Amino acid sequence: MLDAVTVLSILALSFGLILGYAAIRFKVKGNPLVDQIDAILPQTQCGQCDFPGCRPYAEAIANGEAEINQCPPGGQEGVDALAELLDVETLPLNAEHGETKPKRIAVVDEQVCIGCTLCIQACPVDAFVGSSKVMTQVIASECTGCDLCLPVCPVDCIDMIEVKPTINTFVPNVLELANV
Amino acid sequence: MRHVIYALILGVGAQVYFFGLSVLVQITLAVITALAAEALVLRMRGMQIAPSLSDGSAALTAILLAIAVPSIAPWWIIVLGVLFAIVFGKQLFGGLGNNPFNPAMLGYAFLLISYPLQMTQWPSEFQGVLSIFELSGIDVLTGATNLDYAKTQLMLGESIGALTFESVSQMWINLGFLLGGVYLLLRRIIFWHIPLSLIIGLVLMSGILYFIDPDNFSSPVFHLINGATMLAAFFIATDPVSASTTPLGRLIYGFAIGVIIIVIRVFGGYPDAVAFAVLLMNITVPLIDYYTQPKVFGK
Amino acid sequence: MSNFSFKGGLVLENPFPAKEIDLIRIPLPDRVILPMQQRIGEQAKPCVSVGDHVLTGQVIATIDDDRCAPVHASISGTVVAIDNQIMAHQSGLEALCVTIESDGEDEWMDNSVACTENYDFCTPDTIYNKIRTSGIVGMGGAGFPTHIKVRFAEGCHTLIVNATECEPGIMCDDALMQAYPTKVIRGVEVLLHICGAERAIIAIEDDKKESIELLRKFCKNERITIESIPTKYTSGAEKILVKLLLGIEIPSGGYASDVGVLCQNVGTLVAIFDAVVENRPLISRVVTVTGSAVKEPKNFQVRLGASYDYVLGFADIDHGENNFRMAGMMMGVDLEGSNYSISKNTNCIFVNKVEEKTPAQECIRCGMCNTVCPVELLPQQLYWYSKSSNIEKALDYNLMDCIECGCCSHVCPSNIPLVDYFQFAKALNRQQAREKEQTDNARERFEFRELRLERNKKERGEMMEAKKKSLKEKMAKDKAQKEAIAAAQERVAAAKAAKESENSS
Repeated sequence: MLDAVTVLSILALSFGLILGYAAIRFKVKGNPLVDQIDAILPQTQCGQCDFPGCRPYAEAIANGEAEINQCPPGGQEGVDALAELLDVETLPLNAEHGETKPKRIAVVDEQVCIGCTLCIQACPVDAFVGSSKVMTQVIASECTGCDLCLPVCPVDCIDMIEVKPTINTFVPNVLELANV
Repeated sequence: MRHVIYALILGVGAQVYFFGLSVLVQITLAVITALAAEALVLRMRGMQIAPSLSDGSAALTAILLAIAVPSIAPWWIIVLGVLFAIVFGKQLFGGLGNNPFNPAMLGYAFLLISYPLQMTQWPSEFQGVLSIFELSGIDVLTGATNLDYAKTQLMLGESIGALTFESVSQMWINLGFLLGGVYLLLRRIIFWHIPLSLIIGLVLMSGILYFIDPDNFSSPVFHLINGATMLAAFFIATDPVSASTTPLGRLIYGFAIGVIIIVIRVFGGYPDAVAFAVLLMNITVPLIDYYTQPKVFGK
Repeated sequence: MSNFSFKGGLVLENPFPAKEIDLIRIPLPDRVILPMQQRIGEQAKPCVSVGDHVLTGQVIATIDDDRCAPVHASISGTVVAIDNQIMAHQSGLEALCVTIESDGEDEWMDNSVACTENYDFCTPDTIYNKIRTSGIVGMGGAGFPTHIKVRFAEGCHTLIVNATECEPGIMCDDALMQAYPTKVIRGVEVLLHICGAERAIIAIEDDKKESIELLRKFCKNERITIESIPTKYTSGAEKILVKLLLGIEIPSGGYASDVGVLCQNVGTLVAIFDAVVENRPLISRVVTVTGSAVKEPKNFQVRLGASYDYVLGFADIDHGENNFRMAGMMMGVDLEGSNYSISKNTNCIFVNKVEEKTPAQECIRCGMCNTVCPVELLPQQLYWYSKSSNIEKALDYNLMDCIECGCCSHVCPSNIPLVDYFQFAKALNRQQAREKEQTDNARERFEFRELRLERNKKERGEMMEAKKKSLKEKMAKDKAQKEAIAAAQERVAAAKAAKESENSS
């Protein structure tokens, strides 16, 4: 009886030491889960998820403070991808945070712009070119379509234009291929 | 698919010649059940019925299973087997092209494990006579197949080396299937890789065992002409959906089936082993396919 | 005869053989529509405006850098529109085009400036520029700018002229060779002069016996050999042709120039000759019209930009319910209607009677496609992964090496349009790569912005701190000074008071 207790105690102690050493020696720096979640999010930085950007939202998901279905630009595919990553049940996109719109780009009406720079300050990815009292315009290739510049413009001169597919960017619909 | 059914005619004809018309009755029953089962499941899946039924794959599965199952088994055996093969073996995986296992063999394995008694009673042969109508007073005469007999002899401790089987019926049936298989090869409906490698694997494995101890192991010729060897080589293992797809992969797949058939026949508990050998190799197909990719141009 | 062969491929019969191959020059069209988009990613900008009068051979669109070949007017007349027109593409999308209405004169632009007629005495650079400014692109169908390809192949040892025309039904190269054999040979000599190759091989399939004979008759140059190769589809694909003639396999993802070979279509060579020796930019090409609704297949020399209907009007066509297809029966694009224009890579128009198409069925994994792929891929695996949009696995199975030849679709017993799935997968891959680049970029910019705002805040804070400190110091200094002054004043006052009291006593 004493033998059994001794043997088990020694085993428990040695395994505990090994695990403790491993926990310190092989500790993963940072939180890779946040990076993985952030890689799935569309980086629109629009704030529709109620967090100030995609990285804060990713951190919130990792900490269990937010649900995975709060991101409209990512669409249902984004929610499904997050569900697969986190190994949880997928949820329908939460309509309270907005609806998924096709990719849009902001364009400033140059005739109306007064150079107030409020849009430059509002843009989360610095996609504007301009200065005080100078006409401002959007850098189309940098714009993520987050809509944050729309409410701040005092003369309402920003329009959102849908990005249409061109011959270079056309992707056929895979479901229609078999019915040719 | 129709051509595969035509190619089976010779072998089935030999079966009818030696064992009576019961196998045709069984085939008919099997085909009807298969088509009905497939139509029902397609209806439940909300898919079109006519194109899927007309490609003949369900009928083929039914015919192969009907050939493999003893023709004197009760009618519900074949019905159950076909239902299992079509519904579980094929449709529930997504229909044609999506099943990882050979449906006929899945049905056979299910029947063999669930109803071993009915599945091991085979009709005896009568020389060249449509026997079932000539014999008076006896409805049917059953006996062991040659493979069964060999196994029993071995268990009784008798040597089988001296046994020369007048297994004319088995030889003709296998010959019939062999000719059908050659027809399929010539029409390029199947590729030569699997039949050839299967036969080579079979002959090699049984040859090695026979060479070591001819008294306790049957000769390669015995294994070639008995059981469902030719049926397996040309009709069962060549089912494209569940077999390997790369050329080298097919060679490995066929060879392994041949070897496993011998191993199970000799060392295993069942007299014929085609179904289990095929099912086992079906599981390894994705692995074989992955590791036998041919070299791509320019790499 | 070459000693090499390639695996896969198909021996196909020409479904619409022509009794004789001739080249018919059709009259000038009344209007032409010239596209600005020549290849994926290369869109030229018009340098003329609506209402301008242009001459034949005048440059009407260019792109800033060297990447793209310019577009020339193919007739003289007035520019009537610069707008979006439908393109002969599977998407049915539109792109920017310049429309010119003919004035009937066909007045040519004087391109004899930078003349390279005596090309033997010109430097390679001069001839490159001539080829570039003449708007020459690969005439075999892909349309790659020729001057870039030639520049990459500087120092190559072999020039291969692709006159195989392996896709059954197309005869435009055959017609061109039979009509202008000397132009072909002289074009080869021009290229040999530029790229410095030791030898040139003109590869022709052995079913084009007249062309082979004619070229051999007119070729007096020892450096040029005419090779007859067995008729087999995809022997005309560049990678396959190089293997067939020289036994060299171009590495995956690489180009012919990597192995010291320059491969050009025979039509491109005639265009090079026209440009270098006769100062004529690329403004016309040979188009084959064939199909089940065409009574006798014909080859036409057409000005670029002419409409399909105009060209088809010269062929004997059974008018009824017809399908139109651009390029060959294997690699072509099915089109809705015939309201399109001839572009630099329109080598053939198929007009077929409408036939019932057998619907696609499930894949039964028979492996027929694996046996015919000339690039030795596994189309079956690519199909399963493309269908489920699993691009990563498809790339693993070398999706990008697929030359989209259509051999696999042709042999599939279940009639699955395999090549369509691979084109989808490639387009999806491009889209995913684009999106990833954009999201990475957006992430970087967002993080930098956060960093910048943080930094601004910190700097402002530090600045405030520094200001406060200096203010405090100043105040302290002021205070100390004041106290010193007050102390001194007191001392003075005290001294004064003491003196006064002394005086009064």
